[in-house]
Amino acid sequence: MLVGQPIPLTQRILLGATCILLLIGAYTIWSETLSYRKREEVANKLPPLKSELQTIEAQLASNPDDSDLVQAKQDLQDRISRVERDVLAAKDRRVPTWKTLYTDGLLRVTEGQGLKKNEYWLWEDSKATASRLISGMLAGVVLSLGLGILMGAYSPIEAFFLPTLSFLAKIPPTAMLVVFFILVGVGEDMYVTMIVFGMLPTLAIAVFQSAKKDVPESLIYKAYTLGGSDAELIWNVIFKQILPRMIDAVRLQLGPAMVLLVAAEWMVAGEGFGYRLRLFYQRTDMSVPYLYLMILGVAGLTMDYMLIFFRRYLCPWFGE
Amino acid sequence: MNEIVLECRDVGHWFGSNRVLNEINLQVAAGQIVALVGPSGCGKSTLLRAILGTHPPKQGDILANGRKVTRPNRDVGIVYQNYSLYDFLTARDNVAFGLMLDETSLLTRCLKPFEYRKLRNVHREKAMAYLEKVGLAKAAHLFPAEMSGGMRQRVAIAQALIMEPQILLLDEPFGALDEATREELQLMLLRLYQENREAKQAGVKPPYTILIVTHELNEAIYVSDRVLGLSQYHEGGEQGATIVYDKAAPVFHPGDARNFEEFERQKDELRNAVFDPEQNQHHAEYVAFWQNLK
Repeated sequence: MLVGQPIPLTQRILLGATCILLLIGAYTIWSETLSYRKREEVANKLPPLKSELQTIEAQLASNPDDSDLVQAKQDLQDRISRVERDVLAAKDRRVPTWKTLYTDGLLRVTEGQGLKKNEYWLWEDSKATASRLISGMLAGVVLSLGLGILMGAYSPIEAFFLPTLSFLAKIPPTAMLVVFFILVGVGEDMYVTMIVFGMLPTLAIAVFQSAKKDVPESLIYKAYTLGGSDAELIWNVIFKQILPRMIDAVRLQLGPAMVLLVAAEWMVAGEGFGYRLRLFYQRTDMSVPYLYLMILGVAGLTMDYMLIFFRRYLCPWFGE
Repeated sequence: MNEIVLECRDVGHWFGSNRVLNEINLQVAAGQIVALVGPSGCGKSTLLRAILGTHPPKQGDILANGRKVTRPNRDVGIVYQNYSLYDFLTARDNVAFGLMLDETSLLTRCLKPFEYRKLRNVHREKAMAYLEKVGLAKAAHLFPAEMSGGMRQRVAIAQALIMEPQILLLDEPFGALDEATREELQLMLLRLYQENREAKQAGVKPPYTILIVTHELNEAIYVSDRVLGLSQYHEGGEQGATIVYDKAAPVFHPGDARNFEEFERQKDELRNAVFDPEQNQHHAEYVAFWQNLK
């Protein structure tokens, strides 16, 4: 096989599916092994109890009317059946089996919880996290694109903002969380502010660089010779030309935005994915967290592909 | 009859202590197709950018249609060597792009979308007519990335022509094209000149005035009716390049044979007057276009 040589689509799909199946298989083996060990651990209590029961039964055979012995036998039998039940119910919560993920994970988050059975965790958490993410991303994207394009179009604006933005972009956004907690509080506004300022420096710089690099000056000059105004140059030439690259830049910011949001929710939220993850982390119960991680992954992929389709629809000239 | 559409008055330019252009005086009349030749590094691009208005000269004035050029505007059209087109527009919309920018504004397009739609159809029809003129009607729906170099350059020419600029600048337009495509496009320029002549005979202003920069002497003489030589090889050369050659070129009709041997006398003259570093004599005898006209 040569370096860089392509493979047919069927082979590609087959290889990708194999990796996923391997992952699922490995998880199944791992979780079943742990849960088997857990059952063994509980079941090991049975033999001493059973030998004790045999001793009592032997004593009962010689004097069957001893009421203490009858009582002791009854107690022992109860204990044995309790342990037998425990053996069946034994499960490992750090790496739950698929069955446990379903019963303790999916059923728990989709069925009503709480005293009044009216708390639907999955719905509430998704609603909270999604609304924070979407409003934060929307505001952040609009601001960053506007600023980036203006910086690309006008050198004074670039000169004014670029040094500060470059500096801010180098501060880890998660470290900046403390600033937002203190200045904006821990209400819903905080999440939007946090995502906006978390993505703004990086995204604005990416857009600005694209506006500089991907719009040759010949296209700018030519647009003036075609009678374009300054506003038309910005909208009809620069914006249109770098639109696909901006969409790709936004795709790249999806990950950091979600990191930031989940981290903030972990620390201060009363609902949302990050909050629920922390709650179950404290109980060392991973059945809900694993489920939530899968949902987060699927949601991220979905948003990413939506943006790709959006780009293909808006910019058919750009190719794949 | 000779309406001057482009005038350079004592134009000079320099970068630091390096003087590039000096005392450039030039008049181009409507309907002329002027070829500009010169040794590399003589400042052809500097002069072109000055006329375009992106880099105004440090000395002197450039007037297009009687107005001083201070920034690129719709009086001066440009076609670049690297066939720069708008990647996000199809061939047809690339050609119609100028009409949209020129005749509508962002505000009117937003406020009156329905009127704009009607106008856009008019623009597109006109663009199709221009695409037909450059022989590309079938490629109207293609994006630049899907076209060959020759096709893109035709679109770029149609895109500039549709604006009916006072003067169209072609910056080594066919330099990167293969021989066959280049010849086709040269023929296209001859057909435009044909239209100019017909307009002149009919007593109206000829529609196409073109300044073409080229390094191909055959091409310069073939497509133009006037050849300009810009060179630093003259007696005041250290002050920068100036126009050292300005004479009429033989006019060809689109059907004429491409007999480049006829050009040899003029090519020798050009080599001697423009490209020879030893040539430091007075060049006035070669700058004779307007005198000869009289």
